[in-house]
Amino acid sequence: MSRARAWREALPVGAVAGALLLVAVVVLVSAGADLRTALSALWIGSLGSRYALLSATLVRATPLILLGLSVTLAFRAGVLNIGAEGQFIAGASAGGAVALATAAVLPGPVSLLVALTTGVVAGGVWAAVAAELRRRFGVLEVISTLMLNFIALYGVSYLVHGPLQEPTHVYPQSATLPMVARLPFVFDGQRLHVGFILAVLLGLALWYVFARTAAGFRIRITGAGAAAAASAGAVDTARVSFLAFIASGAIAGGAGAVEVTGVTYTLFERISPGYGYSAIAVALLARLHPVAVIGAGVFFGALEAGAAAMQRDAGVPSQFASILEALAILGVLAVDRLRARRQEAAP
Amino acid sequence: MTKSLGFLLGTMALMIFGGCAGSERGVAFRVALLTPGPITDQSWNSAAYAGLMRIKDSLGAQVSHIQTKTPAEFDENFRQYGASGYSLVFGHGFEFQEAAARVSPEYPNTIYVTTGGISMGKNLASMSFSFDEPSFLAGMIAASVSKSDIVGCLGGTELPPVKASFLAFRAGVHAVKPRATVITAFIGNWDDAAAGKEQALAQIGRGVDVIFQNADAAGLGVFQAARDSKSVYVVGSNSNQNEVAPRVTLGSVVIDLPHAFITVAREVKAKTFQARVIQFNTRSAVVRWVPNPATASLLSARAISMVDSVRATMLAGHFSLPAGR
Repeated sequence: MSRARAWREALPVGAVAGALLLVAVVVLVSAGADLRTALSALWIGSLGSRYALLSATLVRATPLILLGLSVTLAFRAGVLNIGAEGQFIAGASAGGAVALATAAVLPGPVSLLVALTTGVVAGGVWAAVAAELRRRFGVLEVISTLMLNFIALYGVSYLVHGPLQEPTHVYPQSATLPMVARLPFVFDGQRLHVGFILAVLLGLALWYVFARTAAGFRIRITGAGAAAAASAGAVDTARVSFLAFIASGAIAGGAGAVEVTGVTYTLFERISPGYGYSAIAVALLARLHPVAVIGAGVFFGALEAGAAAMQRDAGVPSQFASILEALAILGVLAVDRLRARRQEAAP
Repeated sequence: MTKSLGFLLGTMALMIFGGCAGSERGVAFRVALLTPGPITDQSWNSAAYAGLMRIKDSLGAQVSHIQTKTPAEFDENFRQYGASGYSLVFGHGFEFQEAAARVSPEYPNTIYVTTGGISMGKNLASMSFSFDEPSFLAGMIAASVSKSDIVGCLGGTELPPVKASFLAFRAGVHAVKPRATVITAFIGNWDDAAAGKEQALAQIGRGVDVIFQNADAAGLGVFQAARDSKSVYVVGSNSNQNEVAPRVTLGSVVIDLPHAFITVAREVKAKTFQARVIQFNTRSAVVRWVPNPATASLLSARAISMVDSVRATMLAGHFSLPAGR
């Protein structure tokens, strides 16, 4: 790429990034925060210290990356699965329940493996409901997956008030997983668990599948234009999108099981504080590129961890993270638009 | 590729601004507060924040506050404060006990205190409030004011201290009117004022004319419901809520949280703190019934004297809840 071209490419990105930074600063100042303290907290509380990076940012990034990949897979196949939230909850509930039940009888690693597998299956099944409705009756998946999210939410609420409630029946949450049924930490004394490594590996694997395999090609062309793909060659688009839908749910379910065995160690109602919805933003920010999803997930994780630090150190309201996330997405859209316009203008 | 450039720009900008936190480490007395809800609830959380501010003003502490939603966040922030060397961390609610018990052994130089609860460890304590005594008085008042003889209790979630307070309230109601009906409901959360209002209206629809609310920010909806209805009254809790809606509030079951917070903080600062369950009751004046003068005319002289005599036995330490529900 020539230097002039690189500049031309970078210019809109720089302009948008600058505008976002400006807006962020304006919001901070209008919230009455001390700018220097706030920004320094944002930095040190997200990426600027080993503890923040390994105990907050990447821990928060893990479910966002996994769910971002789930959304990416579905969207690439032309399936608008916005049910990652519900599939995550289904996986967390099933995985958590199985981990609790098997931890005492099976060796730790086996129990863990069974729990994670159960989570994957549960997420897949939850998505399969919507996938089957779409294939058989043409029910819009945007509606069915959204509805299934609420069913999952009330389902977990029932479980932690009923059959899975902890033995003293005081808290609306399950019993705590024993040590053996928890995912191991990556570093001593840090909260980062091996789920993060799984997430990164999955991102790379998905990139490989999309870029280098026939299955990945079929998924991409199904998403790019199902009718054209079907008429041009031997692609059973209905089957491809059906399977991609279920695989997307399976990833989300796995993410839920990872969260329970790696972070919370117990099941409760707000096991997902909206991860499934943030993940759509993560996937869009990454422009549905699996490797970029890893970066976008870490970016969102850093923002949320940094926002918590800003609240602790500078009294900035926690909603600030949501504002920045929204700004980042607007920024990506703006850059895309600028590029598209330039291409239209170019001969 | 260009996207990563964007990240880089953002990061660099932050690096330029960054780089000074943590410079004042170690020396200062630092106190942190985790609340389960917004500090604008004029109840449980705002009282705790007032306590934190009092610690800042009178002990010269450096203070920090964060609102946390899930047990995972309780854990994360307890650790953050421990790792950055805070002397004292309050987890403001019964529900913080588990996370505090899990994290406290890892940060022995930080003292973790939960508001409510019975946990205890080397550097772990809890403040326990005998909420039942003023709740009993509130029940007596509610029964005296009620015309329908149906009163309601409306809570956030079913936490043990809330349930205990409601039981005492009910006992107080029955001490005055043995046949009165007490309806208890829980909103399911502590921050949805619309849901609080809806539940309150549902109780009012069943004939309730006095509601004892303990639902923090969600409870603000209860006051709204009472204001919109005719001759329905509310009993506030945690903070003095008599000013929230003066014309419909009979009084408040108050925990003087600022007082409790500073008592603990003073001990920690003086390094005389002993991990224990710290009891606060009517006699320590931290928990008390505060009547609302604006609605005092609703009470008969007989009701007032009855309440006063029960309060006297409480202050003398002779009060115990009547057995049976």
